[in-house]
Amino acid sequence: MLEAKKICKHFEGLKAVNDVSFTIEKGEILGLIGPNGAGKTTIFNMIAAVFPLTSGEIYFNGKLISNLKKPSDVCKAGIGRTFQVVKPFGGMTVLENVMVGAFNVTNSVSEATEKAMKAMDQVGLLRRKDMLAKNLTVSDRKRLEVARALATEPQLLLLDEVMAGLNPTEVEEIIPLIRKIRDDGITIFMIEHIMASMMALSDRILVLHHGEKLAEGTPAEVTSNEKVIEAYLGGKH
Amino acid sequence: MTNLTNTISKKNKHFSMNVFILVLAIIGAVLPLIWDNPYTMQILILIFLYAAAAGAWNIIGGYAGQVSLGHVAFFGLGAYTTALLYNFFGISPWIGMILGGILAAVVAGLISYPCFRLRGPFFTLATLAFAEVLRLLSIWARPLTGGQVGVTILFNPGFKNFQFFGKTPYYYIALILMFLVLIVSIWIERSKFGYYLTALKEDHDASEALGINTAKYKLYAIAISGFLTGLCGAFYTQLLLFIEPLSVFTSHLSNQFAMIAVVGGAGTAVGPILGSVIITPLNELLRGALGGDFQGLNFVIFGAILILVVTFMPNGLVGFFKDMKAKINHRSESK
Amino acid sequence: MYLMQVLISGLMLGGIYAMVSMGLTMIFGVVRVINFAHGEFLMIAMYLVYWLNVLLGMDPYVSILITVPVFFVFGVFVQRILIQPIQESPATIKIFSTLGLGLVLSNLALMLWDADYRSVKVSYSTAVINISELSISVPRLIAFIFALLVAVFMYSFLTKTDLGKQIRAVSQNRQAALLMGINVRKIYMIAFGIGSALVGLAASLLMPMYFVYPSIGLLFGLIAFVVVVLGGLGNMYGAFLGGLIIGLVEAIAGAYIDPALKEVFYFIIFILILLLKPSGLISMGRGSEEVGL
Repeated sequence: MLEAKKICKHFEGLKAVNDVSFTIEKGEILGLIGPNGAGKTTIFNMIAAVFPLTSGEIYFNGKLISNLKKPSDVCKAGIGRTFQVVKPFGGMTVLENVMVGAFNVTNSVSEATEKAMKAMDQVGLLRRKDMLAKNLTVSDRKRLEVARALATEPQLLLLDEVMAGLNPTEVEEIIPLIRKIRDDGITIFMIEHIMASMMALSDRILVLHHGEKLAEGTPAEVTSNEKVIEAYLGGKH
Repeated sequence: MTNLTNTISKKNKHFSMNVFILVLAIIGAVLPLIWDNPYTMQILILIFLYAAAAGAWNIIGGYAGQVSLGHVAFFGLGAYTTALLYNFFGISPWIGMILGGILAAVVAGLISYPCFRLRGPFFTLATLAFAEVLRLLSIWARPLTGGQVGVTILFNPGFKNFQFFGKTPYYYIALILMFLVLIVSIWIERSKFGYYLTALKEDHDASEALGINTAKYKLYAIAISGFLTGLCGAFYTQLLLFIEPLSVFTSHLSNQFAMIAVVGGAGTAVGPILGSVIITPLNELLRGALGGDFQGLNFVIFGAILILVVTFMPNGLVGFFKDMKAKINHRSESK
Repeated sequence: MYLMQVLISGLMLGGIYAMVSMGLTMIFGVVRVINFAHGEFLMIAMYLVYWLNVLLGMDPYVSILITVPVFFVFGVFVQRILIQPIQESPATIKIFSTLGLGLVLSNLALMLWDADYRSVKVSYSTAVINISELSISVPRLIAFIFALLVAVFMYSFLTKTDLGKQIRAVSQNRQAALLMGINVRKIYMIAFGIGSALVGLAASLLMPMYFVYPSIGLLFGLIAFVVVVLGGLGNMYGAFLGGLIIGLVEAIAGAYIDPALKEVFYFIIFILILLLKPSGLISMGRGSEEVGL
């Protein structure tokens, strides 16, 4: 579904992402892990056209998307994303926030409302729908990020650390939610720090280290990979 | 169930707003029949005109959160286009008004486009500078504009020439102008466009990620805003039948449009009207009563009001009333 | 030769623009506020110089000893009283707050001193130095030398002193500066103070050769905005360079095209910069054009 070919992003000499290639298959959950500063969010931003690639190409459903200039074009192409640091529209209600997402696929307010209700229901935010987004708890803000992105009706969803900052109970709640989204037919590419949930969720995992691809494979393959243990897990000991 | 209550409450909100507009329109329409005093009429015309211009500013400055401090540029373009087309080519000011509005919209778009690709204060600075540029050009292009001397519109009253003896026709035209802006604002509020403007005001990155081409929607907003401001300028020409750089390209007007919207409540449809009802008569009063002795006093007071409002009532009077209402509701609920 | 003459006087004038603009960019870079009253600060400072001269007979250059500290304190107060309560508010709020202050100042001046053009009478107002066929206005030369000194002084202050380093730290990353134990609020006040003090200095240097009137602030404010965008928002060195460039542009446009249109040229430059190189002449690196507000 998505194919990245030798993508590079250099910031004034710093190689944030260097020569990384990978593919995402339709219907899978691909995990992206790596120590801080490995370039995970940079890869998301490259896919989402937040900044141009230094070199390399990204294809989505066979079409080149790395030449798109604006993040909105990428969303229109069918890729939704959430932000690591959540960005709610604080002065709007939860419903209105999600409606903004839904307007990606409709011009009608009533249709957008309907779609937003569905997306909020999916993530369990319905009871908060009339609350101002700025008054939400951390965990609800994360849900709002997901609901908004879902409402744009993406084929591929990029989830950037939606579990960070949540307590264990909340993490337990969000895992089935992500699985449900995938079962509804949306492919998922996710960054997460919590290894246990990553292992439980991902079909495959991509390991990044210093901007380069270190390993790729099933959770079992990755955790038994010596380079990964040394560079990533080893670093924590 | 929740879905149902939601739509009902939304319908209610729309309904009460619609009723409010209707009542306002009826009052506006019958007022001259019962209270036909030239001075009051003049004040009311100005209230409507400033409410319309502030409402036009509000579309880009309030809903989209892109503060323009040079809206007088579009006002002046409307004013000069109308005046010059009539004086040079005898084109009816009604047509001149539309053409002036279109010119203002196009120019607004051209000036804003480079700014809207960027984030930061560029738009505010660009509008401020552009208004000053137009003022200087209008002084400089003497053969066309009469320079400092200004343009006097050839007097030949009649509907076709948008010139009337009494104040009443101007009153109704100003009223219609204000309602036009109000209705456009309400349409924006209730449509995808309005949701998008609010979203891009709140967070640029999130808006883009949700598929909003932010530059494009800002461009639409400034074009609509510029067009409506141009209409206001054209009306001003016909009201006074005389324009000069000092009156239609002055930074005072830019500040006034913005201030009226902010004091009333930026990003709301009725805010600019409320703001104009308060600020415009106050302005006339201060200028009239103290005029010669204390030149500038009105703007000293307005500057102070502006600082106080944004510091203590950042959502203007409309926001203040909403908060009050919420508090009262909350209290009655807890009882 | 005529061109040389034009270039020299443009460069000299640019020194003044540089000084005013460095103040504006300092405030923006550190406090993240565009001071829309910046031109009005200059106007009030010019009146201060004027009245010190008229009432006390003080020479404009001596008045530097008063305008600089007075405007430093004024800037600190504006930051403390006006900006600090809305520091975390959206950019639009801050725009209106400083705009409101500008309105109050310019119209207060109009109320108190009318719209008259006023100037100080000093013997050296029109003095010139002749070098071969070039003649250089003495007040302009003095202003230019001061601008150079200020630029050198600001450079060493920001790079060599602890306070200067703290100011730079805050402008680069407020969060990190907080974590490092820097009193960010204090730095804001000092930065606003320095930005205003530069305006005070510029006023003292301007008065021997300029008129003051209530709306002169708009003119200088606009120039400073253009310079600051030209140099890169928040970039002190860029502002210095930008000031000189705008001085040159003004002189060339005035000499060869039409002095009445000089602002039109500022604006064309402004739009060109936005289109071609929005990060300004001296880029501070990725995204510096989008420091936001």
